[in-house]
Parts: sequence; structure tokens; C-alpha cells
Amino acid sequence: MRLALGIVTAVIVGATGLAGQGVMIAPHAVFIARGARGGSVTLMNPDTAPVEVSVEVFYGYTATDSTGQLTLRTVEHPDSTQPSAAAWLQAFPRRLTIAPREQQVVRLLATPPAGLPDGEYWARLAFTAKAGQLPVGGVTDTARVKVGLTLQVRTVIGVHYRAGLVRTGLSLSGLRAVRHGDSVVVQARLERQGNAAYLGTVHGTVVGPSGQSVGEFHVPVTVFFANEPRWAVAIGSAPAGRYQLQVEVSTERDDLSQEVMLPYPVVRDSVEVAAP
Amino acid sequence: MWRRAGTAPAEVPRGLCRCVILSLLSSALWATPAEAQRPLTVQGARSLTFGSLLAGVNKTVLRTDVVNGGQLDISGPGRASVLLTFTLPASMTGPAGATLPLSFGSNDGGWSPPQQIGTQTAFDPRVPYTAPLDQNGKVSVYLGGTAKPTANQKAGSYSGTITLTVVVLP
Repeated sequence: MRLALGIVTAVIVGATGLAGQGVMIAPHAVFIARGARGGSVTLMNPDTAPVEVSVEVFYGYTATDSTGQLTLRTVEHPDSTQPSAAAWLQAFPRRLTIAPREQQVVRLLATPPAGLPDGEYWARLAFTAKAGQLPVGGVTDTARVKVGLTLQVRTVIGVHYRAGLVRTGLSLSGLRAVRHGDSVVVQARLERQGNAAYLGTVHGTVVGPSGQSVGEFHVPVTVFFANEPRWAVAIGSAPAGRYQLQVEVSTERDDLSQEVMLPYPVVRDSVEVAAP
Repeated sequence: MWRRAGTAPAEVPRGLCRCVILSLLSSALWATPAEAQRPLTVQGARSLTFGSLLAGVNKTVLRTDVVNGGQLDISGPGRASVLLTFTLPASMTGPAGATLPLSFGSNDGGWSPPQQIGTQTAFDPRVPYTAPLDQNGKVSVYLGGTAKPTANQKAGSYSGTITLTVVVLP
């Protein structure tokens, strides 16, 4: 109890004083074509203290949950029906320390098994950056109390390994749109075709009775198997009336090089916006 | 069609218009690779700081606290989403195994467009959450929490780790 009145100072670190909790990673998705032995990812430490980074490879892909939100599905021991590259994709080095304001390259080495069928195989790279123990700010009585938390940032990006002839496609079905106040909630089923993930952008437009647009959205999508996403489109104070949702899905992405995009014709659909 | 839009006033020489258009097109073309290579960055901006605590007195820091709330800034592909998963410690560990309890509630996480701490959307940091990046590929994430020193909290060093996992979607 003699310490009951002691003052404890606690700092949970989350940032710059938080030197080095994160690294800059480029690119944010890696594409490896057959013939290339691998790829690389560049890590940069933007902070003023060294940062320790560990690298791991595992199998996972994005999919939507029951609410239409995207999530990452991981499979620790994928069977042969899963297009996993995790077992034969290695990262070097797996542990590294990046000096302040410096960058280092992590090499990816792909050693696919002989006779690998044509198609795209996936893995995820996780980079865990851990800063050193941070000094506690604002402590006046450091002889009695030293308290602090370290923040780790684990950043996960995707890897696509393309073997042989790869093709993609998309089917759009079950399109529905319901007005909720100043928004239109959109749901649809996107199912990939072919043997590679569908990379593209969904462009939706809510059109009013006289043909004018009252709201629109652009969303990048990657469909590994099938997704049932949910989007909300703001339409402001558009008056009551008959509205139509027009959707167009194309293999265009602002964030990816055109070189990695697989072609497929634009997919279109439309539906009348229903009252809630 | 573009004349109807009124972007080329009649008094502007046609040659000049062409130059401007070519220049804009050139900029757009060169901008594409840069956009394609935009790195993914997760950067701490501010500590979640509890400051001085009195033994036996809980202290809560709101995620909207512009001085003590935690903030991380994420940048990546425009209009993409990131899946955020916090691994939050129940306590910090101190001398001789002493612990200082921490708690995080369903309203202790938040996100907003960059630098707009006052317009946060709340989320539960104890479960995975998908936050959207804006058209420029940016989002700020906030964290609050509560430190719960016990009445006989032992003095000394307390430490622990918070892990934030960021998955680039889609």
C-alpha cells in the first residue's frame, strides 16, 4: 500500500515519437509470370530510428463476408484444390533491419513444382515491422516508473504467380439496389471465370427519371473466386421517384500497371432502385 | 461535344489549345506509372498517451483526443480498402510480473479521411474492420483506450505490444 498513491505514467506508442513502427512497401501487389524466377519488394524506413522487419509467406485471398464486407481468408494447410503458391515461394531475407531513411529489397524466389497446371497461384506476404522500446514522454519521476508499449505494424500484400496460359472473366448476377434515406445500397454477386483472379473496377451510377446522374461510385475489385459485395452510393436529397442503377465492370485499375491486367469485355447490368 | 462544354473559348488560338491538350495528355500518361507504383505506407502519427495515472484511478483517452489519442496514417492505392486488425493487450507487464490492466471498448477505434479527426467513423478495434481509402489512397486510423491501475499498483517499468495488421484489399 505504500505505493498506492504512486503515480504511474503510461504511454502506448502509436507513432512518430513512435519511430519506425511502419515501413513503406512497394509495390502493394506482386505479379510474377512463369519464366521469371521471382520478384522483389522494396521496403523503406521513413523514420529516424532503425526498424526490424520480419517477412512471412502464407496462403490467403480476399472474399466478402455475410455482410458484404471484404475480408482476408487464410488457409493454413491448403489442399491441392487451392491455388496456393505459399509452399514454393520463398522470401529472402526473412529478417532484416533497415537503417533510418534507408531502403532494402526483399527477393522472392519461386520454385513451382514440375508440371504445374496453367493458372494463377496466390500467396500473401506479411511484413512485420517492430520499433524498439520507445522512451516514455512526460515522465518526471523516471526512477520510480518506466512504462511504455511498443507498436508493431504488420502489413499484408498479395502475390500472383502466373503459370502458362492465364485468362480471366467475370459474371455479374443478382444485382439489386435499395434506397435508404440519402443513399442507395447496392449488392451483387461477382463470380470469377477462367483460371486467374479478375482484376477490375466497378463503376455504378444512379440515374434519375430524366436520365441525370444523382450519384455514382468507383470501386476497385479483385475476385479470386466469388464475392457478394455491398456498396453504398450517396444520392443526397434526390426527390422521390423512379431511379435506376447502372453498373459497369471493366478490367481497368488505377493502382496497377496495365501490363498485369488480364483483358475481358466490359460487363454491364442495370436494375431499378427499390424503395426500402 | 467538347466545344459544347465550353472548355475552349473561341478567342483562344487553336494551336495553343492543341499544345495544352497534348501537355495534359502527356501528364496523364506519365502519371499512370507513378500511380501504379504508389507505395503502401502505415505511419504512426501520434501516440496513445495516458500521461500520469493515480493508482486505483482509471484513465480513459478518447480516440477523438487530438493530444493523447493514438493516430496512424495509411496511404496506398486510391479507392481501395484496408482490413484493420488490432491485437490489443489486456495489460502491460511490469516488475516481478506485475501487470497494469488496459481495456479497449467497442467505440475506441475510428477512421476518417486524412487529418479529419473530427469526422471519424467509429469501429470496434477488438474485431477486424474494413476501412476505405479515399480517392487519393489515404485514411487516418485512431485509437483510444482505458488504463486501469489498481489501488496497489506496483511502481516500475511496464511494457507491452500493440499490433496493427493492415491488409490491402481488394
